[in-house]
Amino acid sequence: MRNPIRSEAEAFRFLLLVVAGAIVIAVCAALNTWLGVAGAVLVLGGLAAWLRG
Amino acid sequence: MTTLEHAEGLAHDDEHHGPPEPQYSSRVHPSVLGMFLFIGSEIMLFGAFFTAYFFVRVVAGTAWPTPPFHLPVFVALINTCILVTSSFTMHWSLQSIKRGNVFGMRAGILLTFLMGLTFLISQGREYSRAGFAPKDGAFATIFYCLTGLHGAHVFVGLSILLFMTIRAFRGHFSPENHHGVELAGIYWHFVDVMWIVVFLTVYVL
Repeated sequence: MRNPIRSEAEAFRFLLLVVAGAIVIAVCAALNTWLGVAGAVLVLGGLAAWLRG
Repeated sequence: MTTLEHAEGLAHDDEHHGPPEPQYSSRVHPSVLGMFLFIGSEIMLFGAFFTAYFFVRVVAGTAWPTPPFHLPVFVALINTCILVTSSFTMHWSLQSIKRGNVFGMRAGILLTFLMGLTFLISQGREYSRAGFAPKDGAFATIFYCLTGLHGAHVFVGLSILLFMTIRAFRGHFSPENHHGVELAGIYWHFVDVMWIVVFLTVYVL
């Protein structure tokens, strides 16, 4: 399992992923509410998969 | 205990200085366990506030923002850019000291501190011009609670950064010894991640 606060570099990488995910959710939500929900689920799933390594 | 064993014990005592060796009752290393507890407590803290936010907005169906109030989205977006940029300078600072570039480390950590300070001052200015107070309904209360909780974390991060900046200019860090910068960086990125989530939920969605 990946630990995002193991080192500064890992934390920085995690931050970049969160920023990218937030942009995806914001764009999807601007197009359609349910698309935003789907985008959020997709992004959270992706982050969970990344954390599991 | 034989005389020989007793003598070996005494010899061992002579070699060991300081407190006795710790006894670990868990298979998880204490530093890792402490980190997990820290993450857990922060998730619960922010989670409680986000639960209140989703209850107010989704379950109760409160208009967001409640008319006639408006959220200063543009100022918050500029603040977001400042905070994300400060994470880049923080990362630059640590990479610099790892390569032995003391000037880069000092410049990076000072810029990070100044950008964090700008964020906090800007947020204070935003509060004074928001046109609503925490007592003005559920929307206003949740808004100030979420952004204020994050602001408190930024204040803690700035305090850490201030100490690290002073230490950096006093020459306390080297390519071999820069643990303080690393820890400050981890905390600062964590604060930044939390702001992205707060900004997305409070201002954008």
